[in-house]
Amino acid sequence: MFDLNKIKEKAYLIAALAAVVVILIPIGYSIVTNLFAGPPQPRPFLEMPDEKYKECVRETEFMRQHHWELLRTIREEVVRYGKRTDININKCRECHVSREGFCNRCHNSVNLYPDCFGCHYYPEPSEMAEKMRKSGDKAILFGQSIERLPDLSGE
Amino acid sequence: MERRDFIKIAGGTFLAGSACAYAFRFLTASNIDGLIVENLTTGRKYGMVIDLTKCIPGCTACVEACHNENNVIHSGDKRWDIHWLRKVTIENKLSPEVGKKEVLLLCNHCDKPPCAQVCPVQATYKRHDGIVIVDHHRCIGCRYCVIACPYNARMFNFKSEEEWHNKDHPKRSHGVAEACTLCAHRLDKDQPPACVEACRNVGTGAIVVGDLNDPRSEISKLVESRAVKRLKEDLGTDPKVHYIGL
Ligand code: SF4
Ligand code: SF4
Ligand code: SF4
Repeated sequence: MFDLNKIKEKAYLIAALAAVVVILIPIGYSIVTNLFAGPPQPRPFLEMPDEKYKECVRETEFMRQHHWELLRTIREEVVRYGKRTDININKCRECHVSREGFCNRCHNSVNLYPDCFGCHYYPEPSEMAEKMRKSGDKAILFGQSIERLPDLSGE
Repeated sequence: MERRDFIKIAGGTFLAGSACAYAFRFLTASNIDGLIVENLTTGRKYGMVIDLTKCIPGCTACVEACHNENNVIHSGDKRWDIHWLRKVTIENKLSPEVGKKEVLLLCNHCDKPPCAQVCPVQATYKRHDGIVIVDHHRCIGCRYCVIACPYNARMFNFKSEEEWHNKDHPKRSHGVAEACTLCAHRLDKDQPPACVEACRNVGTGAIVVGDLNDPRSEISKLVESRAVKRLKEDLGTDPKVHYIGL
C-alpha cells in the first residue's frame, strides 16, 4: 500500500520548497518595501552652537558616529576608576544650547531614547536663552537660523 | 577519533579562540583614541574618623550639606526620603547614667563589603582606594545590597529627586540603590567631602576623612593616638569609619 520511496520523494520536495520560500520571503520583503518606500528620510535639522565654538572634544566626523562610545568610555573611567578629566557629560551643555534641538532630533528620528539627562543636569531652554542673551552668542535656538551642517546624504 | 587527535584539535581550538579574544580587545578599543582604561592603583585607602566628643548636640549641618551636595531626596516625606548620613540618638537602658548620645550613621565603606559580594551585576564594587560605590548605570534595583548591609546604610530610590540642589552632580533615577559615596567626586579632585567641609564651617571639625595607608595623614594619627571604635567589628566586614567616644 505505502510506497516508502514515493513518500520520501514527496517529503524532500516539500522541504526544498519550504527552504526556497523561507529564503525568498525576506528578500522579497525588502525589495517590495524598497519599491514603495518613497524618497529617503531627510537628515534631521540640527541646531548648531555659535560659530565661535569651533572645536568639539573630537572631530565632527568622529563625534557623529562614536559620541556614545566616547561617553561610555568616559563613564567607565569616571565611575569605576575615579579618573575625572575636563571632558565629561557636563561639557556638552557648554556649547550645545538646546538638547531638544541637537541630541533629541537625531535620536528621535531613529527611535532611540537614551536617558542620560534624566539624572545628569541639562539646562532648560529658557535658561540657555538667557545665557545666550548675556554672552551675545548667535547659536541657533528653536530653529531660528540656517543649517550649517554639510549635506552628507551622498546626493 | 584517536585520543591524540582529540587533544590536538581541542588544544588548537583553545589557542585559536584565545588569540581571537586577545585580538578583539584591540580591534574594539582602537575606536576611542587615548581613552583606554588603565587600572589605577594609588595605594590609598580612604577612611573616616568621627569625633563624637566634639559633635554638637542637635547640629545637622553635615547632614544638610551631604544631601544638598549629592542631590539626595529630602522632601520631608518619610515614604521616600533617603539618608546617606543620619544622626540618631542612642541610649543605653542598662546604664542610664551614661545618658543619651547622638551618633552619625553612614556607609562604613567596609574593606570586605557584603553589599558588593551579593550584587548580582557587579554594580556595587570597591574602588581601588577603598570607597564602596554603586554604578547606578548598571544597578538593576534588586535590593540585595539593601538587605545585605549590616549597618542599614543602603537605601532604595522609590522616587527620583525633583529638585536640583547641585547641578554639577547627577541625581539618581527611581529604582536604584544608593549610599554615601564618601564624596568620591570631591576626593578625586582633592577636595574634602561635603560633610567634612560643613563641619569645619560650623567650627567643630569633628569629621576627618583621609588616607589610612599614609602614616603621616591626620586620620592615621587620630586612629593611632585615640581610642577608636568601629561598628559591629565582630562581623568581619572591616569597616573604615572610626568613632571616637562611642
Ligand atoms: S556599610 Fe553597608 S553599604 Fe557600606 S560598604 Fe558596608 S555593607 Fe556596603
Ligand atoms: S540594588 Fe543595585 S547595587 Fe544593590 S545589589 Fe541590586 S543591582 Fe547591585
Ligand atoms: S562623605 Fe559625602 S556622601 Fe558621605 S556622608 Fe559625607 S557628604 Fe555625604
